[in-house]
Amino acid sequence: MLEITGLVKVYPGPVAALQGIDLDVPLGMFGLLGPNGAGKSTFMRILAGLLEPTSGRVTLDGLDVLDRPEWLRERLGYLPQDFGFYGHLSGRDMLLHLLRLKGVSAPGGIAKLADELLERVNLSFAAKRSVKSYSGGMRQRLGIAQAIAGSPRLLIVDEPTAGLDPEERLRFYHLLAELAEERIVLLSTHIVEDVAVLCPSFAVIRHGRLLAKTTPRAAREAIEGRIFEGVVSPSELPELRASRHVTQELLVEGRHRVRVYDPAGAAPAGFGPVAPTLEDAYLVLMRTGALPGLRAPQRPAVAEAVKA
Amino acid sequence: MNIARTFEVFRQEFTHSLRRPLFWVQMLLLGFMVFMLSTGHASMQSGDARVGGHKAWLTSEFAVAQTLIMLISIIYVFFVSVAAGMAVIRDDEQKVGEIIHSTPLRPSEYVWGKYLAVLASFLGVLVLQVGFAILCNHLLPHGSNADYIGPFSAGNYLRPMVVFAIPTLVLFTGACFAIGGFSRLPVLVFAFPIGVLLLDAFFLWDWSPAWLSPGVNRLLQFADPTGLRWLKETWLLVDRGVDFYNHARLELDPLVITQRIVVLALGLGCVALYQRRFSTQLRGAKVSERQREAALAATPNAPDPDERPEVPAPLASLGMRATTPGALATMLEVARTELRQLVRAPGLYLFVPLILIQTLLNEYGVGAFDTPLLNTAGGLATGMMNTLTLLICMVILFYTTESLQRERSSGIGAIYYATPLRTAAMLAGKAAANTVLGMAIVFACFAGSLVVLLVQGKVPLDPAPFVVVWGLLLVPTYLVWTTFVSAVYAATSNRYGTYATGLAAMILTGWFQMRGNMNWVFNWDLWSATRWTDIATFQYDALPLVLNRIAWLGMAVFFTVLTLRLFERRERDATSTLVRLRPGALAGALASLSPFLVVPLVAGSVLGWQVNEGFQGAAAKKARLDYWRKNIQTWKDAPTPAMAGADLDVRFDPPRHAFTMKGSYLVENTTDAAMARFPVSYNPRWKELEWTANAAPCSTEARAGLLIVTPPRPLAPGDTLRLGFSYSGRHPDGISKNGAYGMEFIMPSSIVLTGFSGTDFVPQLGFFPEKGIEKDKNGSDPREWPKDWWKSPRNHAIFPSATRWYDVHMRVDVPADLQVNATGECVSEQVAKGRRVTEWRTDHPVRIFNLVAGKWVVKKGPGVAVYYDRRQPYNVDDMLAALEGARRWYGEWFGPYPWKMLRLSEFAGWPTYAQAPAGNITFSENIGFLTRSKPDADAAFWIAAHESAHMWWPNIAMVADGPGAPVLSEGFAHFSALLLTRQVRGERQREAFAKQMETRYGRLRRADSERPLVLLDGSLPGDDRIWYDKGGWALWMLDRFMGRDSSLAGIREYFRTYRDSQDPAALENYLAIQRRHAADTTSFDGFVDQWFFHVVVPHYLIDEAKLERDGKAWKVTAEVRNVGTGTMTVDVAAASGERWPDERKKAPAWKDARVPLTLAAGEGRPVTIRCGFEPERLVIDPDVTVLMLERNKAEVRLVPEPEGAVAAR
Repeated sequence: MLEITGLVKVYPGPVAALQGIDLDVPLGMFGLLGPNGAGKSTFMRILAGLLEPTSGRVTLDGLDVLDRPEWLRERLGYLPQDFGFYGHLSGRDMLLHLLRLKGVSAPGGIAKLADELLERVNLSFAAKRSVKSYSGGMRQRLGIAQAIAGSPRLLIVDEPTAGLDPEERLRFYHLLAELAEERIVLLSTHIVEDVAVLCPSFAVIRHGRLLAKTTPRAAREAIEGRIFEGVVSPSELPELRASRHVTQELLVEGRHRVRVYDPAGAAPAGFGPVAPTLEDAYLVLMRTGALPGLRAPQRPAVAEAVKA
Repeated sequence: MNIARTFEVFRQEFTHSLRRPLFWVQMLLLGFMVFMLSTGHASMQSGDARVGGHKAWLTSEFAVAQTLIMLISIIYVFFVSVAAGMAVIRDDEQKVGEIIHSTPLRPSEYVWGKYLAVLASFLGVLVLQVGFAILCNHLLPHGSNADYIGPFSAGNYLRPMVVFAIPTLVLFTGACFAIGGFSRLPVLVFAFPIGVLLLDAFFLWDWSPAWLSPGVNRLLQFADPTGLRWLKETWLLVDRGVDFYNHARLELDPLVITQRIVVLALGLGCVALYQRRFSTQLRGAKVSERQREAALAATPNAPDPDERPEVPAPLASLGMRATTPGALATMLEVARTELRQLVRAPGLYLFVPLILIQTLLNEYGVGAFDTPLLNTAGGLATGMMNTLTLLICMVILFYTTESLQRERSSGIGAIYYATPLRTAAMLAGKAAANTVLGMAIVFACFAGSLVVLLVQGKVPLDPAPFVVVWGLLLVPTYLVWTTFVSAVYAATSNRYGTYATGLAAMILTGWFQMRGNMNWVFNWDLWSATRWTDIATFQYDALPLVLNRIAWLGMAVFFTVLTLRLFERRERDATSTLVRLRPGALAGALASLSPFLVVPLVAGSVLGWQVNEGFQGAAAKKARLDYWRKNIQTWKDAPTPAMAGADLDVRFDPPRHAFTMKGSYLVENTTDAAMARFPVSYNPRWKELEWTANAAPCSTEARAGLLIVTPPRPLAPGDTLRLGFSYSGRHPDGISKNGAYGMEFIMPSSIVLTGFSGTDFVPQLGFFPEKGIEKDKNGSDPREWPKDWWKSPRNHAIFPSATRWYDVHMRVDVPADLQVNATGECVSEQVAKGRRVTEWRTDHPVRIFNLVAGKWVVKKGPGVAVYYDRRQPYNVDDMLAALEGARRWYGEWFGPYPWKMLRLSEFAGWPTYAQAPAGNITFSENIGFLTRSKPDADAAFWIAAHESAHMWWPNIAMVADGPGAPVLSEGFAHFSALLLTRQVRGERQREAFAKQMETRYGRLRRADSERPLVLLDGSLPGDDRIWYDKGGWALWMLDRFMGRDSSLAGIREYFRTYRDSQDPAALENYLAIQRRHAADTTSFDGFVDQWFFHVVVPHYLIDEAKLERDGKAWKVTAEVRNVGTGTMTVDVAAASGERWPDERKKAPAWKDARVPLTLAAGEGRPVTIRCGFEPERLVIDPDVTVLMLERNKAEVRLVPEPEGAVAAR
């Protein structure tokens, strides 16, 4: 279990990137959703031992990892959002270098392991090419390969599917799912579909605060019967936006297929009820700050959260 | 090009430059230096040192030009390399290229906008610097420095800025900008300033031996991008006097104008070249048709729809595990990866050749008399230390910073630092990899040194000195510097902050060195702190070197710990940082670091205490000052008895630099009045000091190093007294301040001591008012002597107690492995129980005595012997020939040599000098023994001939302590050496020797403070060069003027007169005697008046030389001017062939047709020479018989043309 208690991060400015996060992450896949600038990456970097928090506590299996980051790193696989590699090395050499730095071993030797990992992420064909020549997606896959190496206890992946094509994304989903059976996988993303597909539970963060911690099913059920879909003309759209919570808009043959949320369950004229998606639930949460029927996580007082 | 977009790029880059710490550090450094210069903490080398004498203004155009050039070449260049070189690289690292180049911004606008911003920022720095200099020089009040500040003239600042500073800045910024853009490699950018420094500071600026041809010299002036060589060679080589430099405008010639334009164009051209490349590369690299076809052929076919993808096995089947890798494994892995980067980067392949070239250039280093020195392994090892230190420290600064920055720059930091690798192991791995580069450079230097020794051929290849010097002394410097740079980076996590701090540290270190404020404690880089001697390796400096290295290695450990504590693997939280900076937390942190400061603090404190207590420390300084303060009013000019005999029994303990003395002087009252008391100078640091008079206790008063002896009854005129003394002493007594060496010393392998120079070995009769004077604190203008001072019968001899002859008896006890040479002849020698005891008695009285010991082999000739270290036999035969020639020819020309033997002994080469007490010449190993003689420059012979001449001048014919008298000693020795060289080695050698003397005089004379030969007393800078070189020349010319027989007759009379006289000679005495032998006293008076009683030196130039056919013959016409002073008759010769052809080559024989010409100062006259052969050149004074300035300009090549000839130099 990964337990986060009262995590606060204030940057000089001052900018409060995290305003007291309390979260328990069980074994398996756990998603962290939030818009850009919500504090997801800050949160991930603190957990990965790359950023010192202002205050708070993080334990993994009962051990404080903020005090002992070196203990955590032995059990960590990390794929950051923004990263690079040594341009002068080939993909294989780069991976080998990282395997050695991580102290990874395998029955057949790490050279063979490197080849197999590259095979898993579909990079065998470019193993011997210089990383400088890799596309963005190829670098992402190499990053995934190094993150999963060594069978880490905690795997943190920050926006992992950015730059991957649909086929690669699917391959990655399978990989993550396989990994999540025996470890904690913390997936940070702003792509709701990733969470919907992979995560039995997730949390939503905005402006450094936790808005919700729930499951996809519970999130959808919270807005069951409150999502309606209809088609409106472009001229009607502004008024609809002004009077309703519009969760999605799609332009189809010149007209807007729109989904709206009504807390009271009253559908606008011409709109019919539809099964809510997780995306609807997420957008409702972003707009209203809460999902009906779901208890919002307790926020600790900021004064308590700041260490003396 | 769109001006608005270009300006926008310019604006963004310019404002960024102004915000960087690099900019402000540079401003602070420059401001500091400008202020220090302005307030007199740096001085120019021209001008009259006397009170009220003209001083060289810091504000003259010449001075401002030099200052600007030096600052730009040594300080600006490093900051420029970082700012300009990184301008494009920085955008790459920040990944802004994709976005900004997707805008309408064109490549040319981007490149020029960025470059002009960088250039503008440095021009701004330059303007601010010059503005601050104007403020400091002309607006701030000046106290003691006021004489060095002239009136304000804007042109004095603006013209050097425009001519020298700006083109050099344009070149440096343009070149660095282009290098950074082309390569995208930071380390390559930093090669540029290193290359500039190596090329300019170590070669182009100063290398100008007399034999360098004018054409090559001009080429080198053109090649120097800073313009300093042109300035030096054209305007500063020959001192024109401070009035000239203070007021004259710096006139430019076509060469420098062209050169500055070319420099400017090169800088802009580099940028233009890069812009073209950038434009073509921006939208991707193009491939050839062949590459295109090959790539298309390799494209895979469309997938088979029936093919199903393999289902991969579960991940668990891979059996992966992860543990923390071991420290050594991590270190090796990191080092391996870093090395791979290193070998791919061009830096390695640039620095190694650079240092190789520099090492090989050292082949042409010049020594005494402008001759190359024999390179020895030890000499090369220590000689290259400064260059290696500077180069490798610069490389370490850049490589270490870039290595630590690499993870951030490449973007892998987040992944890298999230792995379990240990931080210490990672840092160690990076340091190990960077060490390889340092070692590669050192090895290249070593290889180059071996090549130098191989090519030279004479000296054996010996790697031991390299291992000792570079291994024990240099490697700790690198460790200290590497750990310091790492600690700074760890503290700042900022690449530019690290560069700024590192550069500032290096520059400030250099500043303190230059100002003489450095000492052993803080000399972390051992800059110029040690010298090699084969004879006594590190015996002088062993203690301070060891303590220094221990202290700084301790600091390296401290910096390492600091690095580990501060290295920001995890970004710091600002609040937590503030918490950590609270006094309590800070105290705790410092306390935890304090154990690592114990070693450096203890070693440093011990070393500091040693420096303070040493012979250059505060205590010694105070002792010297107290001697002067306490006694100057009372004992200056007090009557002193003369030495009538010396009896010394001395035992040496060389490992402790110690000796015990028991001896006595027989002193005689040679004055007309009784002496109730008399002064004796002694060393107040001697221990167990006891004095006796006639073997009985005597009344003495100790006055801070001056003993006042009161004999039992006053010493009547003619009476003698035996003054006994016993004491123990050390020499050197303690360590130096920062690597200085004394003239005399006691070392396990070499001892050299004299009885006439200071009170380090024996007491000296009398009080010496010049001791204790610090020139900058209580120095005074030279004494003005009465014109007839030399007529007084009461003049003292130039050496204390050398007025009359006396006998010396010495008993010397040394360890058995040492041999001794002392004044006189060895009358007994016993070796027992590890000690050698020799007894010496003078076979003929002497006036001064000395003692030297070493581990020698000996080569003998009739009545002569050379004692030398067996490892340095190279020039022994030449020295022996000079000694033999001296005994024979000086004896025949001047007077008989009275002693049985003439010995020459070698001592360890810390100081570089030779000295010639009676019969026992001492030579430093760096004089003569290690000179590399050329066919036309047998310096070993010359120096031995000079020192041998001192047996006569002044050991036998003693000279007075007064103005001009040193000419009779050193000038006469040089003159004698010229005679002997011609006699034994031939006219060619004589001419070469004369030219060397002339060149040295011309370069080192100070036009404003040069005095006539009869007034030279050593109190003004440059006096010694004049009495050696000009004195020697003047006596040589006088000899020619009088004719050989008359001159020799006069010399012999002089010798006879002063051989036994107790009234030592003055120069006027010598000239008066010679006048009696002159055929024409009127001409003699005219000659002597201008060369001895005035300051003259001709300076001939040839203009409008033409060569034409004259029937079957040739006619040369030219205008010859004397732009110097003095009136002399010189031969002007039209000549062809080689004057001194090489026997191995078939060169045409020398032919000349000549006419005599007499030109007064400022006079010019046409000459016409007809010759029956086609001349190649027109030469003034082909036989090198008249002293002149810039002899190389008194010769022109002649090239006939159909309608006439054009002279070319």
